[in-house]
Amino acid sequence: MAPRTRIPGTERARLATSGAHATTLRRLTAQPGADIWKGNIFLAALLFALTIALAGLAAIILQAAIEGAPAFSIKLLTNGPSTVNPEEAGFRPALIGTLYLILGVILLVVPLGVAAAVYLEEYADGNRWWNRVVELNVQNLAGVPSIIYGILGLAFIVRGPLDLGFILAAGSLTLALLVLPTVILASREAIRAVPSSIREGSLALGATQWQTIRRQVLPAAIPGVVTGVILAVSRAIGETAPLLLVGAATFVTFNPSFLGDDGYSALPVLIFNYASRPQEEFRVLAAAGVVVMLVVLLAMNSFAIWLRNRYEQQW
Amino acid sequence: MEARDTIGAFGSVDEARPATILEAPSPRYGEKLIKWVLAACALLSVLTTTAIVVSLLVPTFDFFTRDGVGLGEFLFGTGWAPTFQPASFGVLPILVGTLSTSLWGMLFAVPIGLAAAVWLSEYASPRQRKVVKPVLEVLAGIPTVAIGIFGLVFLSPLIEDVFPFMVNVPPFSAGVAGLAIGLMIVPIIASLSDDAMRSVPGGLREAAYGLGSTRMKVSTRVVFPAAISGIIASLVLAGSRAVGETMVVLLVAGASPNLTFDPGSSVLTMTAFIGQTATGDISTGSITYDTIFAVGSLLFVITLALNLFAIRMVRKYREVYE
Amino acid sequence: MGNSPTEQPGRTGRPNEDGQLHSEKPNDDRSPAQGISVIREPARNDDDAWTKDTVFEVKGVTVCYSGKPAVKNVTMDIFRNEVTALIGPSGCGKSTLLRCLNRMNDLISSASVDGEILYRGQDLYGTKVDPVQVRKLVGMVFQKPNPFPKSIYDNIAFGPRVIGMDNVEERVEKALRRAALWDEVKDRLDDNAYGMSGGQQQRLCIARTLAVEPEVILMDEPCSALDPISTGRIEDLMAELKEDFSIVIVTHNMQQAARVSDRTAFLIVELDATEDSRWGQLVEYDETGRIFTNPRDSRTEDYVTGKVG
Repeated sequence: MAPRTRIPGTERARLATSGAHATTLRRLTAQPGADIWKGNIFLAALLFALTIALAGLAAIILQAAIEGAPAFSIKLLTNGPSTVNPEEAGFRPALIGTLYLILGVILLVVPLGVAAAVYLEEYADGNRWWNRVVELNVQNLAGVPSIIYGILGLAFIVRGPLDLGFILAAGSLTLALLVLPTVILASREAIRAVPSSIREGSLALGATQWQTIRRQVLPAAIPGVVTGVILAVSRAIGETAPLLLVGAATFVTFNPSFLGDDGYSALPVLIFNYASRPQEEFRVLAAAGVVVMLVVLLAMNSFAIWLRNRYEQQW
Repeated sequence: MEARDTIGAFGSVDEARPATILEAPSPRYGEKLIKWVLAACALLSVLTTTAIVVSLLVPTFDFFTRDGVGLGEFLFGTGWAPTFQPASFGVLPILVGTLSTSLWGMLFAVPIGLAAAVWLSEYASPRQRKVVKPVLEVLAGIPTVAIGIFGLVFLSPLIEDVFPFMVNVPPFSAGVAGLAIGLMIVPIIASLSDDAMRSVPGGLREAAYGLGSTRMKVSTRVVFPAAISGIIASLVLAGSRAVGETMVVLLVAGASPNLTFDPGSSVLTMTAFIGQTATGDISTGSITYDTIFAVGSLLFVITLALNLFAIRMVRKYREVYE
Repeated sequence: MGNSPTEQPGRTGRPNEDGQLHSEKPNDDRSPAQGISVIREPARNDDDAWTKDTVFEVKGVTVCYSGKPAVKNVTMDIFRNEVTALIGPSGCGKSTLLRCLNRMNDLISSASVDGEILYRGQDLYGTKVDPVQVRKLVGMVFQKPNPFPKSIYDNIAFGPRVIGMDNVEERVEKALRRAALWDEVKDRLDDNAYGMSGGQQQRLCIARTLAVEPEVILMDEPCSALDPISTGRIEDLMAELKEDFSIVIVTHNMQQAARVSDRTAFLIVELDATEDSRWGQLVEYDETGRIFTNPRDSRTEDYVTGKVG
C-alpha cells in the first residue's frame, strides 16, 4: 500500500476529534425546545426561592429598623427599663447583664471547648468505644433544644446539686453549656484543617506531642477556632429561652453583678418582655432593642465569616 | 533463626562513638498530665448529657409516681390543663401543637431551602456563591426572639389581611408561627444541603454532562440523588430545630392547647408550655414543676431521635464521598 | 503491574515471555525464609561491610496496617556515613520501612511492627525506648516540603528550642549554611517560609533537621515534588552531608538512587495466590554499583533496566 493513500496518524486524529466534536455539538444544539424551556423555568423557580429566603430574612432586619426608628436615641443605651414610661425606658441593665453573661461564657467555653477539641482530634483513638461515645455525645448535644438547657440550668445549676440560685453566674454557666458543643465542633474542624505534614514535621524534629500541638497545631488553627467561638458566642447573645428558666428577670433597674442575688436581666429577655406587651410603645421599644442586638450580632458574625474566608486554605 | 547469627556479626558498635541514649531524659509527667486534663474536658460533655438526663428523669419519675399521673393518660390523653382544677395531663394537644408549627415551618422551608441549595451548588458562579453563602450564614445567626417579633408584628397582620383563614385568633396562629420558624430554618437547610451536594464528586457531574444531560437533569437526577443522605440529614436537623424552637412559638403561636393541625388555630407547643410555665415562680416538688420536666423529657427524646438519625445519615455520606 | 513477582529467586535466565512466567505461579512454593536467603547472600560476601559501622540492623521486620502486612520480613544492615537508597515500585512498602526507623509509624494507631530493629546495637522498639528521643537522633525529611507556617528563622529554631538546646541563633545560621541556603535567605530570615520556592522549602526542611544535630537523616522521596535543578542541589547536598550523617533515602527515581547512594535495597510488591492481599518484600540489597550493573536477582535487573515497573 502506498503511504500516500493512507491518512497520516495526526490527520486521522484530527478527523476523529472533529467528528466527535460535530456529534457532540449536534447533540447539544439539537436539544429539544421543551428541555430548554424546562431548564429555564427550573432556574427561575430556584432564583425565586432564593429571593424569598433572602428577602424574608432581610425583612426581619428592615422591619425592626423601621418599627424601632422612633425609639432610637442614646436613652436606649443609658436608661433603665420602665413599665409605666416607655418613652424614657432603655436597656442599660439588660445590656450590661448580657455583657457579663457573655464574658462568663467566653471565659468558660474557650478553654474547655478547645481542650476537648484538642483531645478528640489529637489524642483520642477513634477505635476506642469511649472516644466514639464522647464524639457522638458532642454531636448530639449540639442539637439539643436550648430550652432543655434551660431545664438543666434550673434543675442542676440554680437548684439541685450546684444550688447557685437565680444569679447571673448561673445564667452564664447555662449558656456556656449550651454553646460548648458548637465550640468543640468548630475547634475540631479548625484543628483537623491543619495538615498532618505539619505535625509530622514537628514530631520528626524530636518535639513531643504536646509541644507539637502547643507550638504548631494550635497557632495554625487559631483563625478557625476564633471564628467558631465568635459564632457560638453570638448565638449565646441572642439566646432567650434558657434564660427565661434560670431567672433572668425583666425589670432590673440597677447594674447586675456576677454573684449578686438580687436579680439580673439580659437584652433578649427584656426585648421578649416588651414585645409580649400589647401597648404599641413597648413594641417600638422591642423593635429598637432588636436593632441594637442585630447590629452587634451581624457585626460579630460578619467578622467571623470574614476571618474564616481570609485565612482558610492557607496550605 | 540461623539467619540472625550471620547478621549479628555486623552489629559491632564502634567504641569510639559515644553510646546513644534512646530512653527519655525525663519521665515527661507533664505530657501525661496534659493528656488527662484534656480528656477530662472532653468528658465534661458526657457529664452534661448525664446531667440533662438525670435532671429530666428525676422529676419525671416523681410526676408519674408521687403525682400519680398515669403514663397512658400522659401520652394519649387529649386534654391539657395541668394548672386547672380538675387538672388533666394529656400531652397530645401540645405535642400536636409542636408538630403542627414544625410541619408548617418545614412545608415552607424545605422547598425554599433545597432550591437555594441547588442553586448555590449547581448554578451559582464562584463569585455569586462567595457572596450568597456567607450572607445566608450571617442571617442564620438572627436570634429567634427577633424572628418571633417579626412574625408577631409583621407577618401575622399581613397574613390576616391576605388569607384571613390563616389567623383565627389574631394575632396568634400556628401557621404564621410555622412560617416564622420556616424563615429560621431555611438557612440551615440551604447551607447543609449545599455542603452535601458539593461533596458529590465532580466526575459524576462531568459524566452526566458528557452524556448530553442538561444542567437541570444533572442537578435533579444525578447530584440530588447522590447527595440524598446528606440532604435528608439537613432536613432532619432542621426539623429538630423546629421542634425545639421556643421563642417564636411563645410569641406567635398563642397559648391555647388545641388538638388540631389547622394553621389558623392558636396552639400551645411543648416548648412554649415549658417557657411560659417555668417563668413564673414555681416551687420545687410541686406538680407543675414536675410537669415541666415530664414535657421536657418527651421533647428531649424526640429531638434525640432526630439528631441521632441525622448524625447517622451524615456519617453515611461522609463514608461514601470523603 | 508488569513486574512478575513469581520468578524464582535463583533464576538467571532473562525472561522474555511474561505469560509463561505467570503460568508458573501455582508451582511457586518459595517460602519467605528462602526469600531472605537471597538478601543475605550478598551481604555475606561483601568484605567492605565487615569493616563498617552499622547504624541500623533490621532483622526480619514485618509492618502491618490493621493486621494486613505492608512489608514483610525485611532484613538488612544500614551503615554509618553512607547514603542508603530504598527503591522499588509504588506500594512496595519502602516508605513504610523508612518510617519504622524513627518510629513515625507509632503515629498510626493501626500500624504494628514485628521483628527487630537495632539502632547502634540497641533495640529501637524496646519497652524503655522513647520515640521522641529516637526522633531527635533520627531526623526525617518528607516527600512534600512541609515548612511550618512561620518565619524562616523560626522554622529552623523550632527544633533546637523544643529540645532545649542553647545558642539557638548560632545553630540556625550553621544549619542554613550546611544546607547551602544561608546566602539565599540571610537577608530575609523573618519572611514567612511559604514565600520560598519549592526547592528552597525542601532545603529549609533539611536545614531544620540538621539544626537538631541528628545522627541519621531519613528522606522520603525528598525530590519527587521538585524540579530538576532543585533536585540536583539536594543531591549535591546529600553527598556533602554523608560526611557527618548517615542518610537513608526512599526514591522511586532509579537514576537518583544510582547517583547519590552507596548502597541500594530493591523491594517489590508481592501478591498472594488469590491477589486479594499485597505486600512489599526486599529482593536484593547490595552496593549501588552492583545493583545497577550486575544484580543477582533477575527481578532487580528487570526493574533497574526499565523492563518492568
